[in-house]
Order: sequence, then C-alpha cells, then structure tokens
Amino acid sequence: MAGKPVRPVNAIDQTRRMLSLVTYLKERPGARVEDVARAFGISEDELVSDLDVLPMCGTSFRGGDLLDIDTDGERIWWHNPAALAAEAAEPLRLAADEATALLVAARAVSTLPGLRESDRQALLRATAKVETAAGEAAGASSRLSVTFESEGGVFADVDRAIAERRRLWIRYYSPARDEVTEREIDPIRLVSVGHTYVEAWCRRSEARRTFRLDRVAEIRILEEPSAPPEIELRDLSEALVQPAAEDPEVVVEVGPGGRWVGEYYPHDSADELPDGGLRITLRTPDPASLRRLALRLGRDGRIVSPAELADSARQAAREALAAYDGIEVERTARVAEGGAHGPQAVHAVPDGPGDGPG
Amino acid sequence: MAIAKAERLMNLALCLLGTRRPLSKRELRDSIEAYVEAFGPGNGATGSDDSFNRMFERDKDDLRELGLVIETVESLDGEIGYMARRDSNRLPPITLDAEEAAALGLAAKVWQQARLAGAASGALQKLRAAGLPEDVDPYGSHGALEPRIPVHEAAFEPLMLACRDRRPVAFEYRKATAAHPEQRHVEPWALECWRGHWYLAGWDRDRGAERVFRLSRITGKVRSRGGRYTAPVPDVVTVRETVAGWAGEIADRSARIRLRAGAGYPLRAKATSVRELGGGWDELEIPYGHGLDAWLVEFGPDVVVLEPAELRADVVDRLRAVAKG
Repeated sequence: MAGKPVRPVNAIDQTRRMLSLVTYLKERPGARVEDVARAFGISEDELVSDLDVLPMCGTSFRGGDLLDIDTDGERIWWHNPAALAAEAAEPLRLAADEATALLVAARAVSTLPGLRESDRQALLRATAKVETAAGEAAGASSRLSVTFESEGGVFADVDRAIAERRRLWIRYYSPARDEVTEREIDPIRLVSVGHTYVEAWCRRSEARRTFRLDRVAEIRILEEPSAPPEIELRDLSEALVQPAAEDPEVVVEVGPGGRWVGEYYPHDSADELPDGGLRITLRTPDPASLRRLALRLGRDGRIVSPAELADSARQAAREALAAYDGIEVERTARVAEGGAHGPQAVHAVPDGPGDGPG
Repeated sequence: MAIAKAERLMNLALCLLGTRRPLSKRELRDSIEAYVEAFGPGNGATGSDDSFNRMFERDKDDLRELGLVIETVESLDGEIGYMARRDSNRLPPITLDAEEAAALGLAAKVWQQARLAGAASGALQKLRAAGLPEDVDPYGSHGALEPRIPVHEAAFEPLMLACRDRRPVAFEYRKATAAHPEQRHVEPWALECWRGHWYLAGWDRDRGAERVFRLSRITGKVRSRGGRYTAPVPDVVTVRETVAGWAGEIADRSARIRLRAGAGYPLRAKATSVRELGGGWDELEIPYGHGLDAWLVEFGPDVVVLEPAELRADVVDRLRAVAKG
C-alpha cells in the first residue's frame, strides 16, 4: 500500500495504545506479533517497543504485580493476566479528540461522491454506532467538518476500472495548455486531498500522471486490461505535484493582492517585499503554462523572469485587447481619467493577428 | 536514564483504573517507580514536592486527554484521593460487523495531522480491544481508494482545541489583499475543510459580526484569551456557503462571452448555452459570480466579453495592466 501514514512517536499516543493493548492481549493468550500489529495499525517494531515497556507497568511496582508480558518475536505471552484486575482491563470509552477524529473522517469519507453505495451504507451505520458509544464525547465533533469533492460519475468509473483491472480512455483538460487531449491510462489508485485525483500510468506519455477528476471531460472503460508497471507509490503527505530540481525557474513579484499565489503554487521561496507583496521563486517543467497566472494577476503582479514568459503574457493581453476595439467606448473614457496608460494601450497592438470577432 | 513518560503515564493509568478506593497522592507517588526515581518517596519529603505536584497534575491532564475520567474524592479526614471508576470509563457495548469495521479502518487513516491521526488510531484501537472485527484486510476491496485530509496550516491545532473547549482566541490575520496583518479577536465556532483548505467560522469581537477566516492567512501564533463567549453560538455554522461565494461559485447573474472554438473547456462545462458563431468562434452564456473577470482574463485572446458592460470593463482593465507590463 501507499506512503506511510502520519504516525508520530509520542507518549500520549503510545500510552493510549498500550492501554488498549493490555485489554486486547488479556483476551488472547499467545497472540501473534504479526496479527496484533496489523490489528493495531502499527509496525511490528512499534509493537515490540510497547512490549518492552509493558513489563515495567502494573498497579504498583512495589507490590510485585508488574505485568509479566513477553514475546519470542513471534507470539506474545502474558504469564500473570490476573495481575491486572478486570476493572483495569476493560475497553475504555472514547476521548473527545478520538471521537472527533474518527467521526469527522468517517463523515467526510461518506460524502465522497461515487463511493460504492454498500460501502457508504456500512460507513453510515458504523458512524451512528460510534456516535452512540462515544456519548458526550461525540459532541465536539460537529465543530470540525471536511468535504471531499469529486465528480461522482467519473469516480465510479475509475473505481470500477481499478477493481476490474481495466484500462481507461479519457478526454482530459489541461489548464496549463487550455486544451483537451485524449489519452489511455492504466489507473492505480484514487486519491482525495480536497479534490479527488486518479493516479495512473499514462500510455501516451509512458509516465506516471495524476489526473484531477473534475477535469475529466469524458471517460470510458476499455476492454483492454490495465497493466501499469510496478512503480513505487508516493507519500501523500507531500504535495501531489512536485516540481523536479531540473525544472526551469520562474520568478514572480506580486503585490498584496497577489499573495494568494504563495498559497496555491508550490514554490522554492517567497520573500516579503516592502510594499506588503512577495517575490516568489518557483519551478515548473513548462514555464509557458504560467502565462495564465501572469494574465490573471493583472496589476497585482508580474513575471520577473524568464523574459519570454513575461513577453508572451503582454502579447496575449494586447491581442485580447484588440478584440475590444470598437466595442469599448464608454469605459475607455472612464479609464483615461485614471491615468496615462489606459486608452493608448488598447491601440498599441503592433502585430495582432486581427482574428478577433466582428 | 529517566523513565520514559509513556511508562509513567501507563502506570498512573493502571493504578487509577485498578483501585477500588481513592488513592492519595502520596500512595500514587510511592507506587509508581518513575515518581520515586525522580522525586524520592512521598514521606520525609524534601523540596521536590512542588516539582512532583506539577508533574502529577500534568500527567492527570494527559490521561484526561486520553479520555480517562479521573475522580477527585475527599475522604472524611480531609485527604484528597484519586480514582478512575469502572462505570465512568467503560466503553458502552458496541458491535460492528466486518464491513463496518473495514469502513472505519479506512476513515481512521485519512488524517494527515499528527494529533488527529493519533487520536483516530487510538479510537480504532479502543474499538479493536472491544472486539472490532479484524480478519478482513483493512478496506481490502478498496486498497485503491485513499482519501486524505490535508492539514498544512500551523493555526489548525490551536484553533481546533479552542473550538473544542470554546475558548476565545486572538491572532494576526492578513486579508487576501491587505499588505499587513491585523490583530483579530475571535470566538471560534467551527473549522471546515473545503477543497483542501481550512477555514474558521466564528464571532469577530472587533467587527461585532460573524466572520470566516482562511487559516493559511493567519500569521504568527494563535493565542488563547480568557473568559467566556459573548455571542451565542449558532446551531448550524455554514462556512462552505461563505467560501463558495468568495470562490465565485455562487452566481446570481449571467454573462455572454465569445470563446474561440476548441478553447476554454471549463467555461463550456459551466455554460448554460453554447452557440456556434462560425469563423472559429462560439458564443456562450455563463454564470457570473465573484472573480469571473480574473478567470476570463486567463484565457487571453481566446475570450471576448460581450456583456454585461461592467464585466467587460473589468476584463479590459486587467488586460491593460498586463499589456503595459
């Protein structure tokens, strides 16, 4: 399975795990290390480190009633289960944070459009039971909520293709190029991080690609079997799109109104500017794809380098303005009051292709 | 080497859970090796009492975070004792079938935030100890589905705790278009994650109104403020509608544009009508909400706004700013 889940080593988590562990082990003499680790969602090493601590624990170290638990690396033996009174070994109620973490996550997953109906029903049933068992501790869980977004129909098709190991044909929109291309992909997994993505082996580029489901314009499940090469799955705690070290560098300077760029684009550095803006350095395999960004920023920012990118944005803006020639009277006058640049810019189109409407 | 904290907490928990009568602080101190090692025995006390007391209080707080209900009982001769009663700490009976167990197994893995990831695993482990079925591979049929809740914002954890405990907070907040952050005093109600970003809804004491904050725009530390909430907390807090409005998802008007044939797929996907004009152009009717001007400019010469005039003027303004570069 995929990247390692976040699992910090801290005393709180370890204590809560050990408390559940003693309850669990008391019922299961000779439990297998492998099985217990799986049941607890931890590595065998983590389990063994818990088993190192448990023999130091008891209801009084002076009373000689320390838990006599040991393992030969394969099985776990508890030689004096009576050392722990039944009271101390009962399953513990859920803490508020535990109930919140589990319930919020369960509700979020159940909102995933395209989730198989039987799975959604199971999740809803489980959520209701946990709410009941958590009692008051479930109260605070309403103060957190998460919505996953995805295109239900596309999701269902991708999900089915993965289950049946079949290839997919998609028409996919690439915002960088503003174009829709057809490709065949071998889907590997569905990932929801805010938006939902399918990670797949793209047969057109013969490379691993991540496709956002809301950009899939059309989808068909093909008869051909899916045969993605064995590839190592990435750790999802990292951003989904990671620029490579050899990608060309782009420098953007934004004013206060363009600071959002720092929130949306993974970048190498973002330095504060005296006017409250940022100087952002980022890398992309295809700087031309940032022309959209340059256009969107308008007066809130500009491309510092590469110069070709800045030029192409200026050029695109001039071409676009040419189309408003003649249909734009009222505003031209208004902008002229604002400063010297306005109206002149409209006409300063040296080599526009002149293919605008009208 | 000092005895590890987990070992100390575990011993304290077992002592409190195992006892049938309240245990005094001194008894606990004498029963737990970590305390004896660090502070010596409880009688014939030296100056280490204060540090023991502080550690003992912290340890009790930590166990309470884990869900342990610890009672403080005063005996007839005035001595304070502690115990974790069986009835108040027992998980009520819960029976989950294999499918439900698998579904919870998937849900427990979605947090990418350390505290909640730990808490979700802890919840599952408690349920496991209570007999949650485990023979199925966790979500085996769905090994290919991996929902993740991202949490990159440093403000998340303090705000989550403040929402949970209903504690007022103060933080520096930089509005989307402001050059400098500004101090805000907020009674936090709820956190919501939408499209991978976290938002806080609450009562803004300075504005005297409900406000939604984007966590990534909180700069510096979130500080707790004393006192109670001054405004009533609504039964239903709607963060998403507000944010969707910011994102231009709520459109009350419509706009007419020309779009080059083959270009602008997402505009076509949103269009309420598309008409071929010939000459390589189409005419579209699209919803007009906040931020549409900035979006349209992205398409450069492939889009021409026809109406309304206000939108056309905004787009032309933006294009001019880029053209003069």
